[in-house]
Amino acid sequence: MTFAQALLLAVLQGASELFPISSLGHTVLVPALLHWRIDRSDPAFLAFVVALHFGTALALIVFYRSDWVRIVRAGVASIVRGRLSDDPSERIAWLLVAGTIPVAILGVLLEKPVRQLFGSPALVAGFLILNAFIMFAGERLRRGARDNVATRALATLPLSDGAKVGASQALALFPGISRSGSSIVGGLLLGLSHDDAARFSFLLATPAIFAASVLELPRLFSAGAQGMLGEAALGALVAGLTAYASVAFLTRYFHTNDLRPFGWYCLIFGAVCLTLALAKVIT
Amino acid sequence: MKILAIVLAAALFVAAVVYLLPGGPLGFHVKHAVLCVVLGLLALVWLRFQTKGATPTSVR
Repeated sequence: MTFAQALLLAVLQGASELFPISSLGHTVLVPALLHWRIDRSDPAFLAFVVALHFGTALALIVFYRSDWVRIVRAGVASIVRGRLSDDPSERIAWLLVAGTIPVAILGVLLEKPVRQLFGSPALVAGFLILNAFIMFAGERLRRGARDNVATRALATLPLSDGAKVGASQALALFPGISRSGSSIVGGLLLGLSHDDAARFSFLLATPAIFAASVLELPRLFSAGAQGMLGEAALGALVAGLTAYASVAFLTRYFHTNDLRPFGWYCLIFGAVCLTLALAKVIT
Repeated sequence: MKILAIVLAAALFVAAVVYLLPGGPLGFHVKHAVLCVVLGLLALVWLRFQTKGATPTSVR
């Protein structure tokens, strides 16, 4: 992998991890479109990907640092007390725990086999199109429900709803389905506003991405990855900066906007890639 | 439910140890072991909530 390729992949990862357009799908499709010969099982490439995820997770932690301090303090206080109080941060802490459990279990058990089975550009493009329809359907159902059901605040959700959003996030194990897209749709269907659904989605993504990258950090120091440390460090920095800018943009965007533009993007990009893959232009 | 939390926590901690045994029946899987430890700790938290008052999952 060249330096320019590393930089482009870092920008792509940092942005697409948080925009609801599937980072994994883009890291399969964009190199295929550009005819880059990247061995995705090469230890050096895997180490590089770990560094990108680590940078993205750090950016999320820094962006939501004051929220995390409040949430962790409130969560620890509730454990010490042995019961929940009316503090909204406590509720959010346990919603995040409830939401992380399904994706942690499914991720650890299924991530490798699912990605091996569904990693070809044609299937990824197909899942990207499905991702578009998930977002369109989520918006449509939410608009239909808004007439009958009042919008709920995040801190009023029962913990079982946190688990439901977490389970919807697990759809992102399929390359092409977006983690943030599926969890925002999950939140919308439970009655959250776009604002709260996006905030919960980004908070929920943090422990999963952070834990997964920390557990894989030893890859950076494996024998096959030694020549890649410079690119990995730069990639982590660039991915982190891009992720920070992305989450800053998206939190403002979802004050007044919805998922449909991302749905159209996924539909068009997925359809183009699927056509090219079926015509054997990309493999 | 308290008994269930204790049994669950114990089973998860045992599974974590087994996952870390080289050549063990479940194979050597660090991620699986870490997950078992975390879930085991959460089972203990669940036990504490039951002992002291409302459980996190029962509060709506």
